[in-house]
Amino acid sequence: MIEIQNLSRKFGNFTAVDGLTLTIAEGEVFGLLGPNGAGKTTTIRMLAGLIGKTSGDAWVAGCRVGDQDTARKLRGLVGLMPEEAGLYPDLSAVRTLDFYGRLYHVNAGERAERIERLLTMLELWDRRNDRVRTFSKGMKQRLTIARALINDPPVLFLDEPTANLDPEGAKVVRDFLLQLRSEKRTILLNTHQLAEAERVCDRVGIMHTKLIAVGTPDALRGTASEHATAVQLAVVTDAVVAAARDASRADVAVSGNTITIPVAKPERDNPGLVKAIVAAGGEIQFVSGIAPTLEETYLKLLGDEKHDKHDKHEKLEKNAR
Amino acid sequence: MNWQNVATIARKDLTIMMARRGMRIALVTLPLGMAILFSQILAHSSISAEALPKTLNAFLFFFMIYSGALPASIAAYSMVGEKVERSLEPLLATPATDGEILLGKGLAALLPPLLAMWAGMAVLMGAADAVTRGTLGYLYFPNWMAALTVFGVAPLLASMAVAFSVLCSARVSEVRTAQQLGSLAAIPGLVLYIATLTGALTLDVASLAAVCGVLAVGDLALGLAARAAFHREDILTRWA
Repeated sequence: MIEIQNLSRKFGNFTAVDGLTLTIAEGEVFGLLGPNGAGKTTTIRMLAGLIGKTSGDAWVAGCRVGDQDTARKLRGLVGLMPEEAGLYPDLSAVRTLDFYGRLYHVNAGERAERIERLLTMLELWDRRNDRVRTFSKGMKQRLTIARALINDPPVLFLDEPTANLDPEGAKVVRDFLLQLRSEKRTILLNTHQLAEAERVCDRVGIMHTKLIAVGTPDALRGTASEHATAVQLAVVTDAVVAAARDASRADVAVSGNTITIPVAKPERDNPGLVKAIVAAGGEIQFVSGIAPTLEETYLKLLGDEKHDKHDKHEKLEKNAR
Repeated sequence: MNWQNVATIARKDLTIMMARRGMRIALVTLPLGMAILFSQILAHSSISAEALPKTLNAFLFFFMIYSGALPASIAAYSMVGEKVERSLEPLLATPATDGEILLGKGLAALLPPLLAMWAGMAVLMGAADAVTRGTLGYLYFPNWMAALTVFGVAPLLASMAVAFSVLCSARVSEVRTAQQLGSLAAIPGLVLYIATLTGALTLDVASLAAVCGVLAVGDLALGLAARAAFHREDILTRWA
C-alpha cells in the first residue's frame, strides 16, 4: 500500500529525510519512532502530497508521490491528522466535518451518515453543534481524528495523535486506533510514545533522519538489547554465583537473594544455567525472564546512531586536516 | 478549477466571518452610516445646483475608498487567521488546489463588503435623489458615471485590496500586522480621489472607463502575484 524507495528531502543544506526505504503492507499499522527533528513529519507530508521530495520515489495507494497529475487523487485517498489540531474555533463539530466532507466530494447522504457515526464513536455526538472553541484538548484531538476519516481513506497518516493529551484522553484515542487497526486500514503513525507504538503497531521503524531499524516491537527489542534471567534462591552463596557466571560467561548481578544473569537466548541458555545453579547447591524458588523494553532498544539504537555520526564527523575532520 | 471546492471554502470563511460580532457590525453600520451622514449633509446644506453633481460624485468616491479597506482587512484575517490557528495544513491536505483555496478565500473577503457597500450606495443614491431633486430639477441618480463607479471601479478596487492583502499575508504571521499592511490597499482609491480634487482627473464616463481598464490590469497582475505567493510547500515549510 505504501512503497518508499530511497526517499530524501533537503531544506537548503539541511537534510530532513535521508534515503528512506520502507514498505508498508495493506492493513498494516506502522509506527515511526524518533526524536523531534528526526524527519517523521516531513516524511508524512511528502507521502500525503503536501510537500515535494528532493530525490527517491514513493507510491501511496497506487499513486506516485510528487506527480502533479495524481496529486489531487493522492490527497483524496489519504487521511491526515497533523500534529497541530488546526480546527476552526468558530465552527461546530458538525460544520467542521461537513466542510471537509464537501472538499473530499463525499455525497450529502454519506456525509451525514459518516458525521453521525464518527462523532458517536468518538463520543462527540452530544456536543455536535457546539463551537470547537468550547472543546477540551482531548475533544479537539478526537475531532481531528474524525476529520481524517471523513473521506473513509484506505491510508491514514497520524502525526503524534496523543501528544499533549492527559492519560484519559490518550486512552480514548489509543482505543480508537486499535479499532481502526481492526478495520484493516493502512496506518502510518508518528509517535514518540513508545508504549503506544508497542500496543498499536504491527511494526515499528526507528528514525533519525534515516531509518535505523525496522521490525515488530518484539523483534526490535531482541536486536539491540540483551535478555536476562532472574533467579530467586533460598540463599545466595559464592559457589552459586560462580556457577552461574561460569555457565553464562557473563557478569552476574546479585540483589538480596536474587541473581540476575544476562542471556543471549533464554530458551537455549536457561536450562544449562538452572542445572549449574542446582549442581552448586542452589535452592531455586523462582525463575523469571527479563525482556528488554522498546524504550531501552530505542535509546540504545539512537545512541549508537549518534556515536556513528560523531565518529564519521571526526574522521572527516581528520581527513580534512 | 473545481467550483464546488471554491464555493465550499468561501461558504466556510463566510460562516466564520459572520460569527464575529464586530464584523457584522462593521458590515452594516459603516455603509449605512455613511449613506445617512452624506444624505443629512445634503439635506442641511445649501449647495448650489452647479456644485451638487461634483459633491454627489465625491460622496460616491468615499464609498469606493471604503470598499477597498474592509475586504483587505477581511482577507488579511482570513489568511493569517489560518496561519495562527494552524488550520492550513489540514486544508491543504484535501484535494482542493492552491488556486481553489485562494479564490474561495478571496470571494469570501470580497463579497460581503461589496454587497454592503452596494446597499449603502443604493441608500445614498435614493436619499440624495429625494433631497436634491428640488434643487436640480431632475433625478441625478442613476447615471452612467455612478454605474461605472458602483459596478466597475469599486469591485476592481476591492479585488485589488484582497489580492494585495494576500500578498502581504504571505510575509507576516500576525493578523494585526497583516491588516495594517492590507490597509495600504486603500491608497489607489485615495489617489483617485485626490486626482479628481486637484483636477488631474476629470470625472466623466470616459475617464472612469479608462480608470477601470488600468485597475483591471493591476488586479490581474496582483492576482497572479498572489497566486504565485500562495504555494502549499512554502506555506507549510516557511509560514508555520
